[in-house]
Amino acid sequence: MEPIVRVENLHKYFGKLHVLRGVSLDVARGQVVAIIGPSGSGKSTFLRCINMLERPQSGEIYIDGVRITDPKADLPKMRQNTGMVFQHFNLFPHLTALGNVMEGLVTVRRMDKEAARARALGLLGKVGLADKADSHPHNLSGGQQQRVAIARALAMEPKAMLFDEVTSALDPELIGEVLDVMQQLAQEGMMMICVTHEMHFARSVADRVVMFDEGLIIEEGPPEQIFTAATQERTRRFLKQLEWHGRE
Amino acid sequence: MDAVEDEGSLEKRRLIVKNVVIAVGILTVLVLLYKVTALRGDRVHYEWRFDVVIKNLPFLLQGIMMSVAVALASMAVGLITGMVAALARLSKNPWLSASAYCYVEFFRTTPMLVQLVWVYYCLPIIFNLSFGPFASSIIALGLNAGAFFSEIFRAGITSIAKGQTEAALALGMTTRQAFRRIILPQAITRMLPPIGSNWISLIKDSSLVSAIALADLMYRGRVLSSITYRPLEILTVTAILYFLLTYPQSIWVNWLHRKYATAD
Repeated sequence: MEPIVRVENLHKYFGKLHVLRGVSLDVARGQVVAIIGPSGSGKSTFLRCINMLERPQSGEIYIDGVRITDPKADLPKMRQNTGMVFQHFNLFPHLTALGNVMEGLVTVRRMDKEAARARALGLLGKVGLADKADSHPHNLSGGQQQRVAIARALAMEPKAMLFDEVTSALDPELIGEVLDVMQQLAQEGMMMICVTHEMHFARSVADRVVMFDEGLIIEEGPPEQIFTAATQERTRRFLKQLEWHGRE
Repeated sequence: MDAVEDEGSLEKRRLIVKNVVIAVGILTVLVLLYKVTALRGDRVHYEWRFDVVIKNLPFLLQGIMMSVAVALASMAVGLITGMVAALARLSKNPWLSASAYCYVEFFRTTPMLVQLVWVYYCLPIIFNLSFGPFASSIIALGLNAGAFFSEIFRAGITSIAKGQTEAALALGMTTRQAFRRIILPQAITRMLPPIGSNWISLIKDSSLVSAIALADLMYRGRVLSSITYRPLEILTVTAILYFLLTYPQSIWVNWLHRKYATAD
């Protein structure tokens, strides 16, 4: 089956810094991929290339068969296929929770306001926040804000969801509610790529775990294999460090 | 709860003190005015004649309309050129950006009076382009205000975190949609207080147009002064009229500051 996301030999430089040094990855429909690795290994940059928030200098990216690295690609249209959730939520502070979820539907899809409102309310219900529809982001907890952000991305009915360290800015007691929503999405068959430090989540929810180091994928495989029988010394060392810090 | 109440009563006390100080200030001015009118020849050789002002008040008051008209029209020109200049300045095109930079710095760093005189007297000589005093006034004042507004707009736009644009783009918005729907609405609430402050300056700065014989409040004050030989009385009353015109708006701008300064 044709993969939803296909990345071929991606290279990205920030000035002289070679951040991605030839990364390739295929993700099939319904698959959940967890990307792990030390900070500065290029995993967030890689994720941000997939919807072209960062432009790679070379390599190709296909979303559902369409080459989005084509200089003539209609990026706004292409980006509707990939929902993104950010580490710092990036909710629109001048809009309510409902307004945040409706915004893409009304502005991008030109959907009728009433229809958009109905769908947005449904999505807020799905992430357990139907009662917060009229709250502004600054009146919501971090966990609630991140769930609104997930609903906002889902509103565009993306073919793939990209999660960029979405629990890293949250207080520990709020992480669970966000991971629960992500797990539910995974069970419904959403294709997801998650850059994460939540090893428990990676182990229990992901179909594949991908290990980044110094701009390269150094190892990938099913979670059981990565977490118990990693072939690379670097992967074993990284996982061990995390355990020392009690992150699991 | 106690802390909240304390803060509330503190706020109330500050408000009372503020009003007392304002009252004392106004009283002082009134007493001074009374004193100077009551002074007679042997102490200072000047006799205050405010009756001259009162007789000519209608002539003076007519200038208010012109002052307001100049300020409003310049404001409109300033807001539009300011927005265009800010967008040009933020543009990726280096020529646009550099041109906007030169425009802003030129108008910010030269005296407004000279700009006004240039538009009114020099453009006709050099380019054979002639504007009346009203049009010249709003061109000069408007372009000057635009330079300052441009910087306010630019600061407002760049103060919105990059993540906001990214979130909008990730939803599939074009950069234009992201600017109009996400960046601008947030930036405007940050721009409003400084725009209000500049509006008040603009009302006062509009008095410069008297230099090119536009019959605004200041011009009428100067004309009356030279006809009646009573500049001290007339200019004092002119100042009071400017105060009455701008002070209510200053209160409104303070309210804008309070409302939006804490909005984030």
